[in-house]
Amino acid sequence: MNVSDLSAPRRGQGALIPLLLALLVFVGLPAVLAGFDRGYFYQIANLALIFILLSASMHLVTGVAGLLHLGHAAFYGVGAYTAALLSTKFGLGFTVTLPLSGLVAALIAFLVALPTMRLVSIYFAVATLAIGQMLYLVMLNWVEFTKGPNGIIVTKGLELFGFSLSGRLATYYTVATVVALCVLAIGRLSHSYYGNALRSIREDDQCADAMGVSTARLKLEAFTLSAFFAGVAGSLWAHMTGYISPGDFKFSESILILAMVVVGGLGSLPGAVIGALLLILLPEGLRAFGDFRNIMVGLVMFLSILLLPKGLLGEVSALQLARRQLGAAWRNTVKGEGIGWR
Amino acid sequence: MTHLLDIRNVSRRFGGVLAVNDVTGHVDEGELVGLIGPNGAGKTTLFNLISGFTPLSSGTVAFDGRTISGLKTNQVARLGISRTFQNLRVFPNMSVFDNVSVGAVGALPQGALGALFGSLAGGGARSAEISRRTWEALEAVGLTHVAGELAANLPYGQRKYLEIARALAMQPRFLILDEPAAGLNDTETRALADFIKRLHGTGLTIMLVEHDMTLVMSICQRILVLASGRKIADGPPDAIRRDQAVLEAYLGVDA
Repeated sequence: MNVSDLSAPRRGQGALIPLLLALLVFVGLPAVLAGFDRGYFYQIANLALIFILLSASMHLVTGVAGLLHLGHAAFYGVGAYTAALLSTKFGLGFTVTLPLSGLVAALIAFLVALPTMRLVSIYFAVATLAIGQMLYLVMLNWVEFTKGPNGIIVTKGLELFGFSLSGRLATYYTVATVVALCVLAIGRLSHSYYGNALRSIREDDQCADAMGVSTARLKLEAFTLSAFFAGVAGSLWAHMTGYISPGDFKFSESILILAMVVVGGLGSLPGAVIGALLLILLPEGLRAFGDFRNIMVGLVMFLSILLLPKGLLGEVSALQLARRQLGAAWRNTVKGEGIGWR
Repeated sequence: MTHLLDIRNVSRRFGGVLAVNDVTGHVDEGELVGLIGPNGAGKTTLFNLISGFTPLSSGTVAFDGRTISGLKTNQVARLGISRTFQNLRVFPNMSVFDNVSVGAVGALPQGALGALFGSLAGGGARSAEISRRTWEALEAVGLTHVAGELAANLPYGQRKYLEIARALAMQPRFLILDEPAAGLNDTETRALADFIKRLHGTGLTIMLVEHDMTLVMSICQRILVLASGRKIADGPPDAIRRDQAVLEAYLGVDA
């Protein structure tokens, strides 16, 4: 076999599937939405898109780099509050707040991650939980700055350089375009040599270190990048709904995003997208069952972990990752198996 | 002249245990050196001290004239010291290709921008270079036919070669193999010996930590012997075979 004829085994499919997906998102779905022309459907479509971005950004840090992140929604909140405050206090429009929200979220993530990234396994997870709660409490209690539990009304809608995009269809297209571009970027990051370096940290960080991978730096980068995308999602949310409050960014939202990544399959970007769709659309579809729907959603999540330990499309089983993360807290191992945790 | 690897008065203390006690030694460019010793002699610890896994208690380690004690593990690796592990540590949920590519990635700049913007930020060329090095390393160990397999699905023997391929993809100047023959039968060990000799023939400097005496005696040019953390002998295989201190350490003969 001639080596020069070989190329890396492809992870994704050909160009056909992305093309079909693009057609679906930018032609098929808008046509259906316009056909029904009900605000409720648009709202669900936009919400699903935003959570696809959140789930995809968490996929980078938890699915690919294997860092159990329990505070992702807080960075989503930082993005939303950045957009809301910039637009209400300084009158800045969506075009400006979108990148700034991402950058502010990334900056805060970078600063809090600097001391945190040295932590391993469960200690890292607890640190992200604390960071998430800290940011949430700032949103909730710093009333002069964030208006606290009353939330902020954002009067400026979506726009592009002053050109309003706040009609139903225009809003959908704007959200879809931003989300598609971000997911594309995350795909390039996670399905490349860079993604492989992150995966090696997930698999065995000491060994990755011995291979020359700058584990501390890459962890910091993955965490910061994922916060950037969460911040972008926050800006979309703030301008789209016109009203944000701390309740949108509490701990249970972080867990919801984590559940999307786990159900879809850790390490798989299509999995993260499908997981987000499932956990946004399922509760909406089950509205007829009233309060029972939450039990049913819980049941679906429970069964998916039980029957599909690697999620729908995952590379690594969630139980395995949790066991390794928790097991590693006991530094005593025999033949790579942690003692004290099984 | 300076040695490629220069170990001077290196010690490592774990609590009350002196795992490595004042060891001095060297490896020259192009050598194939064996490191042997009874269980608990401090071989793996010495190994970890060289690769930066464990910090030194005292002494210095220099590589190519540059002091490397105190550097981080990944910095040591990027200087060209690459290793395999005694208890196999492949990345189980990654394909064979992806496993090996990590070695190539580790040896090159790792910024996110290249991956994100492709050729605009130099990522295209880097990606191609990583792919080339990965295939070369897979070719060297003969694993190209399973490149797409998940590493966890490979049999034990192939996983050993996978680890070596991953280390080779770094294009190291100095390769440390930690008990590569552990768990292999005689036929497999002989094949491994041939393979290591071939690698050495390409000009690579290799250090071999091994229990299997026949393997070490048959391929190494020079052998260092550790016992209870101290270096007790250093010389060509023939001399080591007759060395009184070595015999005592291995057979427990009273002097």
